[in-house]
Amino acid sequence: MTQHTAEVGAVAPASAPWSIRMRDVSVRYPNGVVALKSISMDIEPGEMVSVVGLSGSGKSSLIRTINGLVPITSGQLTVGGHSLAEAKGRELRRLRGEVGMIFQGFNLAGRTSVLNNVLVGRLAHTPTWRTLLGLHTAADKQIAFDALERVGILAKAWDRASSLSGGQQQRVAIARALSQEPHLVLADEPVASLDPPTAHAVMRDLRRINTELGITVLTNLHLVDLAREYGTRLIGLRAGEVVYDGSVDDATDAVFEEIYGRSIRAEDVLDR
Amino acid sequence: MTVPEPAFALAPERKKAASATPPPRPAGRWKPWLAFGVIAVITAVTLSPQVGIAFSFDAIVRNWQNGAAKIVQLLQPDWSFFPRTIPPMLETLEMAVIATAVSTVIALPLSLWAARLTNPNWVGRGLVRVILNVVRAVPELLYAAILVAMVGVGALPGILALVLFNVGIIVKLVSEAIESNDAGPLEAGRAAGGTQAQINRAVALPDVWPSFVNQVLYVLELNVRSGTVLGLVGAGGIGLLIDAVRTYFRYDQLSVIILEVLVVVILLELVSSAIRKRLV
Repeated sequence: MTQHTAEVGAVAPASAPWSIRMRDVSVRYPNGVVALKSISMDIEPGEMVSVVGLSGSGKSSLIRTINGLVPITSGQLTVGGHSLAEAKGRELRRLRGEVGMIFQGFNLAGRTSVLNNVLVGRLAHTPTWRTLLGLHTAADKQIAFDALERVGILAKAWDRASSLSGGQQQRVAIARALSQEPHLVLADEPVASLDPPTAHAVMRDLRRINTELGITVLTNLHLVDLAREYGTRLIGLRAGEVVYDGSVDDATDAVFEEIYGRSIRAEDVLDR
Repeated sequence: MTVPEPAFALAPERKKAASATPPPRPAGRWKPWLAFGVIAVITAVTLSPQVGIAFSFDAIVRNWQNGAAKIVQLLQPDWSFFPRTIPPMLETLEMAVIATAVSTVIALPLSLWAARLTNPNWVGRGLVRVILNVVRAVPELLYAAILVAMVGVGALPGILALVLFNVGIIVKLVSEAIESNDAGPLEAGRAAGGTQAQINRAVALPDVWPSFVNQVLYVLELNVRSGTVLGLVGAGGIGLLIDAVRTYFRYDQLSVIILEVLVVVILLELVSSAIRKRLV
């Protein structure tokens, strides 16, 4: 605990990847559902972690506590040395601005351009009056173009987001996260709405973010083979508790059966 | 890996079975009949001379000659009157355009504040909704009558009345459109660290824009229509002229105005529906 408190307030250098420290983190929703039960874990800067579990296991809640979309009920959570429980208002928004997030449903504003969607990633670094007037700086636009280039869809910058295919939309969402110039990227079931080849392409993009940019990446998955192929570390959740935390290489089928609480089925793998 | 049994394997089974017993019908089929009965009773009560409003159809029989004379006059429009109708008609159109423009500016932020997705603060949201419910409850002709007494005869009270009326309509319809939108993109904006105002502008506005423009065009149509009668209470536009010719029983001139309003409203509808088709 002393080592943990020493880190609160320590500001990481701008480009350095962030760590995540959880101590006895619990989440109870207002309707009484307990999503996370006293979770403790340390994720080191630059790790590529797969979080697996069945739907309802709490992995979506876990990832949302890390950027404060879901407030923790008890325990301590520090991200990049900043304590999440104490962050409010402007401070919380600044923290979120440093953490990119990718969603299962892409979550793009469909009726506006790809570029405008990527520029959403710059909100935390933009004064409100600028956003309200729609005046993006040239520097922000360049960051957005660079992010689109990195995921290979720069040519679509002026297209309407809704006119793109699912895989392309998820790449726009990744570009939106990258334009935040994040220290940490959270991905919540990023490929669950995609067909297998596209799913692999998007997972490769996430791995490149980790290997080439050195950013810490935490990905929620429910597919055994994707978790094995693209993570280096595996965290298994069942009913809001960590039931496995270790290297992907040691995660045998027996481990997955323990996490899922049942035998591995055809629907648990992407490539059958 | 188990292969799911194909569905058609069930077919021979079904043939063998005797006759299928349908599941019990859901209860409550009497409800539509009850509703019908209640409406019938209310109608009967309002028609009864003791409780309901006093009216009888023999007024038509007694006065039909009167009415026929008016219709004959209306069927003979006095076209020489047409040039005199143009300036007040233009005033009505100007009032409609100005009122639409002003209410657009007021209604856009209010629409965002009145919707749960774009304003999580229930106190502010409730306040906006309550005020607008009150504003919407008063008909625009009544606003015009009161405003004429307050600011004097002319186009200004007419414009103010239309603005009040428009803001109520636009905010209600647009905030409902916002609620039916997907919350996902807004969550993405929150995750990126945006303020609510930034998220509303960058994410919510593009998605709600077509329905907003749609309601603004609809309100412009309504304004031209209701703008024609606001003059009856002194609030400017062609209604002042309608009131004048009606007072002198010049139904030949009134029919010119009615035809003119008809043409303007139809033209406006054609234009706005053409624009609406291009909105997606």
